[in-house]
Amino acid sequence: MGTVQWLLKKITKIFGRSTNSLFYTLLYREILKEIHEITENEEDSLLILREIGKRATFESCDRHTTIFRFMPGNPKKVLEYFELLWVVVFGKELSEEDLSYEIIEKKDSKYNDYLLKIKRCPICADYGNDEMDTFGFDKIVNKETEGLACGLAGMLESVANYILKVKKNEYRIRIIEQKCMARGEECLQLTCKIYDKIEWRELTSEKLQDKLNSNVVIDEVDEDVEIETESDFIEKIQEILSLDKIEELLDEPLEGVKQKTAELIREKLNMEPERFFDYFKNYEDDMIRIIGFLFIHLLNEYGGFVEKIFENETFAKIAGYLFKQFKEFTFLFIPIDVINDYHNLLVAFLEGLAPSEMIENIKAFSGKQDIEFLFEGAQLALENLGIDFASLKENVWEELRKERENGLISSDQTMRDQTEEQIPKIIKIIQEMLMLLSEILTLPIRVLVSEGHYGLKTAINSVISEEEGLFGQIKNRIDTIFDYIQELRI
Amino acid sequence: MNYSRADLVQTNATMNQLRNAIYHLQRFMKRNNITEVRSRLRRMGKNIAHTYLNTWRPIEKVTFTNIKDVLATIYRNVLNSNISIEVDEVNKRISIQDNDCALCKYHFSDINVAGCEIIGSMVVEFINIINSRQNGFKIEMQDINESKVFGHNSCRHVYIYTGGK
Repeated sequence: MGTVQWLLKKITKIFGRSTNSLFYTLLYREILKEIHEITENEEDSLLILREIGKRATFESCDRHTTIFRFMPGNPKKVLEYFELLWVVVFGKELSEEDLSYEIIEKKDSKYNDYLLKIKRCPICADYGNDEMDTFGFDKIVNKETEGLACGLAGMLESVANYILKVKKNEYRIRIIEQKCMARGEECLQLTCKIYDKIEWRELTSEKLQDKLNSNVVIDEVDEDVEIETESDFIEKIQEILSLDKIEELLDEPLEGVKQKTAELIREKLNMEPERFFDYFKNYEDDMIRIIGFLFIHLLNEYGGFVEKIFENETFAKIAGYLFKQFKEFTFLFIPIDVINDYHNLLVAFLEGLAPSEMIENIKAFSGKQDIEFLFEGAQLALENLGIDFASLKENVWEELRKERENGLISSDQTMRDQTEEQIPKIIKIIQEMLMLLSEILTLPIRVLVSEGHYGLKTAINSVISEEEGLFGQIKNRIDTIFDYIQELRI
Repeated sequence: MNYSRADLVQTNATMNQLRNAIYHLQRFMKRNNITEVRSRLRRMGKNIAHTYLNTWRPIEKVTFTNIKDVLATIYRNVLNSNISIEVDEVNKRISIQDNDCALCKYHFSDINVAGCEIIGSMVVEFINIINSRQNGFKIEMQDINESKVFGHNSCRHVYIYTGGK
């Protein structure tokens, strides 16, 4: 799985509103039962559950259009990013061992069909073992009828097609549940078929109402409704930074990255790279500050999460202390040579892309100055978002709270208690971030030293393998940080 | 080998899509002239509690002394909600305020039954099943006084208790 896909999966997971998975599964079961109470027909119930899943997901996607603008824009890539679709819909990760693909070749078509097999299905977990699991799969006559996870299939289809619509792609994807574990089959199997616009129109021309055998009524919705997206500079940037393009960039060595960056600037912004960077000439320090500033604001972009946290004065203060400490640690623990290596890497990246005058100006900075500019920009953004740096004093450590003997959670938690409870988690996050920082900092040395390869990826993975090398370590470290952040949110 | 329900208790799932689905279900009910939407949602909550308790239960006995902690534990472990609880001993009422309700987030002008009716009835069923073999403390759902679905800032679930200390 690509790095960016993995990172996006983590971010998507964190920003959803989660509950316990068993509650999710049982609520899903109850929705189907209530539909069945009305239709009194098993096949119709599954058709309606699928439709409700699709509508519910469209509504959810439509509230977060921005995130989907970064996704890849062709149907083959969308399916290759299936794990990401799964996380968007379900918030649970799908392990690589649980998912397998099979490509079914279609000679007369631009795209093949895909068969996805998922070994373990949370929707079907233990279904049939409880007296409340009453849905009558045995009453289904039509062999084409989907299984219990049809609502999930509808949700996945809805996300996939939402991405294609946002990216103005003419193709559409149909995802159908073929095998169902609740029906006693060995896995959850989904078929994914890609249709062009005309085929899709034919496929969706039959109204859902006409497919139903019972007397229930369901309102039709227009499946091919246009999604409005603003055409702005950000959109141009998002085209450049779509997920698949970033993955491609990460797979290229430095020279390739430079070449690719130049191509993208020419293609998407209709200007030469030199002209693009010329805008920042003589404002090189501000350019670096802007990077720090934008980094913090990008973190806040999705759902205003950072800003919301800082609305709480205690959390704003904790974040302020963390930032200050992080800034101090950077200069305290990172050798100046390492910082200078980063500076050299920045210069090497800009050579050939930016005007020579600008490169000379950047060369005049020291590595330490680069870092200071970054921190200044970041601090400005944090102040915007609610941290009052002027009011911060020395660190104050709180004692850890003892757990209650009966295992219950106290109902009388004051804000102070809740903060005390969160502090050990925050400390763990700081520790992990410091470890992560030290691991990342070994990177430029490897890149500059590995002249034989001169490839970022080779350098990162130079230890043993992708999973065991530095890349694997960094991934694991970020995994842990995301887990801790998620704990903090609950 | 598929997941068991005990496996599911250990993990979380994103509720965004299923939360919306509850309101699409309500629209479907109304379109088919179902009038008792509230009692149907409450039935869903009860059924969830029945199955859930076969896998996890917060405590063996609920009393007036521990009711607040039991409620806080159910809301936290099942719904990932941090709630505030007020007990009115005069009117025997328990009022729960949830600022981040798992089933209500947006205001829908066409909806008149809050999704958290499911939560309220599930909580009642949890406690009454746990205490079913004991003649003592019981609670019942009184009302969802406020809900984000109706445009309020938080959801407020009100229960009536009997049995006392």
